Amino acid sequence: MTSALPRDEAEVTPLIGFAGAQFVPLVSGALYWPELDALLVADLHLEKHSSFARTGQLLPPYDTGMTLRRLERDLMLTRAERVFALGDSFHRDEGTSTLLPGDRAHLQSLTDRAEWTWLSGNHDPAPHTLGGACCAELGVAGCHLTHQPRRGIPGLIAGHLHPAARVAMNGKSSRRACFVWDDELMILPAYGASTGSLNVLSPAFHGLIDRTRMQVMLLGRGRVYPVGASRLVNG
Amino acid sequence: MSELSPIVADWFKGKGWHARPHQLAVLDAERAGNSVLLIAPTGAGKTLAGFLPSIEDLIATPHEGLHTLYISPLKALAVDVARNLSDPIAEMGLKIKVETRTGDTPASRRQRQRFDPPHILMTTPEQIALLLSHPDSARLFGSLKRIVLDELHALVTSKRGDLLSLGVARLARLAPQVQITALSATVAQPQTLREWIAMPVAPRPAVLLNAPGGATPELSILRSDDPMPWAGHSAAYAVPDLYRIIRDHGTTLLFVNTRSQAEMLFQNLWAINEDNLPIALHHGSLSVEQRRKVESAMVSGRLSAVVCTSTLDLGIDWGDVDLVVQIGAPKGASRMLQRIGRANHRLDEPSKALFVPANRFEVLECEAALEAVAMGAQDSETPLPGGLDVLAQHVLGLACSAPLDPDETFAEITSAWPYRELTREKFDKVLDFVSTGGYALRAYERFAKLRKTPEGTLRIANPQIAQQYRLNVGTIVEEPMLKVRLVRARGIKKGATTGPIGRGGRMLGEIEEYFIDQLVRGDTFMFGGEIVAFEGVVETEAYVSRAFSDNPKIPSYMGGKFPLSTYLADGVRRQLADPESWRVLPDQVREWLEIQRAVSVLPGRDSLLVETFPRGGKYYMVCYPFEGRLAHQTLGMLLTRRLERERAQPLGFVASDYSLAIWCASDIGGLIRTGRLSLDQLFDEDMLGDDLEAWLDESALMKRTFRNCAIIAGLIERRHPGKEKSGRQMTMSSDIIYDVLYQHEPDHILIEATRRDAARGLLDIERLGHALRRIRRHIQHKPLDRISPLAVPVMLDIGKEPVFGEAREAVLREAADELIAEAMHIDKRAATR
Repeated sequence: MTSALPRDEAEVTPLIGFAGAQFVPLVSGALYWPELDALLVADLHLEKHSSFARTGQLLPPYDTGMTLRRLERDLMLTRAERVFALGDSFHRDEGTSTLLPGDRAHLQSLTDRAEWTWLSGNHDPAPHTLGGACCAELGVAGCHLTHQPRRGIPGLIAGHLHPAARVAMNGKSSRRACFVWDDELMILPAYGASTGSLNVLSPAFHGLIDRTRMQVMLLGRGRVYPVGASRLVNG
Repeated sequence: MSELSPIVADWFKGKGWHARPHQLAVLDAERAGNSVLLIAPTGAGKTLAGFLPSIEDLIATPHEGLHTLYISPLKALAVDVARNLSDPIAEMGLKIKVETRTGDTPASRRQRQRFDPPHILMTTPEQIALLLSHPDSARLFGSLKRIVLDELHALVTSKRGDLLSLGVARLARLAPQVQITALSATVAQPQTLREWIAMPVAPRPAVLLNAPGGATPELSILRSDDPMPWAGHSAAYAVPDLYRIIRDHGTTLLFVNTRSQAEMLFQNLWAINEDNLPIALHHGSLSVEQRRKVESAMVSGRLSAVVCTSTLDLGIDWGDVDLVVQIGAPKGASRMLQRIGRANHRLDEPSKALFVPANRFEVLECEAALEAVAMGAQDSETPLPGGLDVLAQHVLGLACSAPLDPDETFAEITSAWPYRELTREKFDKVLDFVSTGGYALRAYERFAKLRKTPEGTLRIANPQIAQQYRLNVGTIVEEPMLKVRLVRARGIKKGATTGPIGRGGRMLGEIEEYFIDQLVRGDTFMFGGEIVAFEGVVETEAYVSRAFSDNPKIPSYMGGKFPLSTYLADGVRRQLADPESWRVLPDQVREWLEIQRAVSVLPGRDSLLVETFPRGGKYYMVCYPFEGRLAHQTLGMLLTRRLERERAQPLGFVASDYSLAIWCASDIGGLIRTGRLSLDQLFDEDMLGDDLEAWLDESALMKRTFRNCAIIAGLIERRHPGKEKSGRQMTMSSDIIYDVLYQHEPDHILIEATRRDAARGLLDIERLGHALRRIRRHIQHKPLDRISPLAVPVMLDIGKEPVFGEAREAVLREAADELIAEAMHIDKRAATR
């Protein structure tokens, strides 16, 4: 199924083997699942900037549009038939009603194009009617999809923590969002244009990811980078 | 000349003093209804000159309410001047109330000052902005007769000066009778400063008065017998000499250009301090309490020496300083004069100052500075057009005080010198920004901060907006800082990333987050006078442990803040081009230049020397524009882009204040010699067009600059009532906001403000443009078979630069390649088994 990717892209893109399946990590932060022809994205945080307007901070209202365009590119690239959004798709539940007309129409065209499943997140617990199905968690093809990562369910794929890693090499360092996983759990990077990130070495990941079996794949410019855990540093 | 009132005349007589001519001249001008710019050196009795007119007026005419506002760049200075003024007033037996108002003034007193103000209030530009945002500001300032602006030269070149200019414009509108007296050190363009104060009080005139200068300072350059370093800024070679000099003088102020130099020098001095001389350290990263302690010890004369940075450039009178030492490059003649003025605040005695060059180029720079100071040459910066971010902040403040009439406000704002050329169109854009964010996509109409009244004025939508404004007021945006805490080392083991860091050690001070960002655990650097090892970041604190190493691995955490002035740069070029002038130079330096002349050529005064040579499998190009580090860095960025296109395969560059070195994988010298690469085209000014734009697109500098603009303009809040955002989080989100905004509205007013700040502050584009025009068609290529003597200093800097942009990506690539290599190695072993 990777043949759906342009040839040169497929050549430089490493795969992630997890829970007995093969996944293609995209530089955007999406995870493509060839077996299901599905695109997994976490933490879109749509309407994040506009949600600050109530408090008097009038941030540029373009983040939603950027994230949607990113999604559109990934859908075109992979021609995925399904999308699983792993929660926190909206920065607040109210976000589903504050969408600007243009963004709303754009989202509509995307939900028309593929079969969408919106998992609820801590930022957007309420179900909505923007196209596709809404649910809390989902078991699919040997994996378990949810928003908040937890231990004890092999094959769990989650978001929520916005993982990033800092790589140190020859006295220099670089920090990027990343996929992080071990034998049992995978956490996706945040996909939204306006999201920050958290170092995988920070306490939030303690007890979730097994350090001795941790693997990371960093989002670079135009490609993803698998980096050995020994190269990772705090900060 | 007008008479002093008997009370004041008696007071002078009682002291055995006479009013100085310039003090009386200020009084005369003010009595005639003029405003005054008084240019006077330190120690000329500026304070009394500024306040004599107020005292005389208050004696002649009883006054209700606020009479005089004194505005200074430093809180400490406001407090000090209040004290210095209160004594004479008490001695004269006058009932004139003098008070200070700063961020440290208790809230209750600040509250009271608004309805029961003193006659004379000493304060800062930020406090003026705050006072002006209150609805009662018209009543408070309606009675104002005089404004005294102290150290105006220091304020006008910054955004604080922009804020002050807007505040003064508003004050002049609230109190049409007000007169301004501005006090300034000697500057390059005094008429500009005079216009600066004249514009808001027009059509009444402002006159320029000069106080006589003091005795000519005694200057010298340290001649050491020790070998003069090729590069570096520590001046470690001179430490034994400096120690002797400190011992032989009462009190010595040692100025250095960066905090890391201060750290280094302080440690080196203490290492040989056998007499246990009280030598202290003073710079902006040290905790406030630590700095206050040093200052008070200084005032009471308990210190032999203080190693300090520009934190002590301005400020209160230190009493007896016998010697000022400038370590490292002087950078500018005016700056030097002010620093030298810190010695001996007595006019009739000459100040004594010593220059200590830290490397060979700095010897030339010191010579140029010596000549400039002797000639009284000035190269201070001139004020620039005002920032739009500051304007946005001010406009919101005005709306908080009263509904704002756009036409009247525009007229008022353009009476402030920095905004005299502001167009109505731009002003309206700023209003739109303040109101709804100024986006083409009108998403925030219902959240508008300013609403139109039926009368056509704009008022704030709700009182919380005024509250938020007051929390965000001011133009000083601190770099995001991390607290530095000393902890026990957990041992630097290779590859180990786990294990808790020992908590709860002593707080050493604060450090810029971007510096910490480039560190890896185990890296050593200087902080608070000792060498420490970086352990890690925990929340908003950087943990460090004591390091047992002699050489810190990371050489500096702050480049030279001030670029070499154009004036001194020209002096250095002139010396280089004129071997006759080398006679005054130390033997080592002269020999260095002689060899350069023999093996290569000397840079001309108005041309550009470009040397090329191979070294260690790479091909180097070194050029010598002498335009300061910032302009050279920009040039380096742009040249590497161009060389990339010309397939010269540039690998990196390093810039100093004097020169720029670029290294390539291809034989760049050969490309030039054979005419395949044209230096005239390479250095053509058109690089400041598309190449600059393309580079700005991806530059991290823009993001850092944007953060400041966004905070000043109020797009991002400094802090929310009740919850402080750490600098770390704020930087992150401001980067994202910049990306989003830049991609969608590159013409947005904040992008414009950011671009302007970056062009001036960090990239020095104007200066680079001047330089490129100057050297046009005067580029001299000198192919060499090896490195030239002049190229050595900049080549020694290679590897000390922080990483940006592409280099960060390279880190990822290398780390990933390493993983692949590791995997391949295992495979190979498995295959051979």
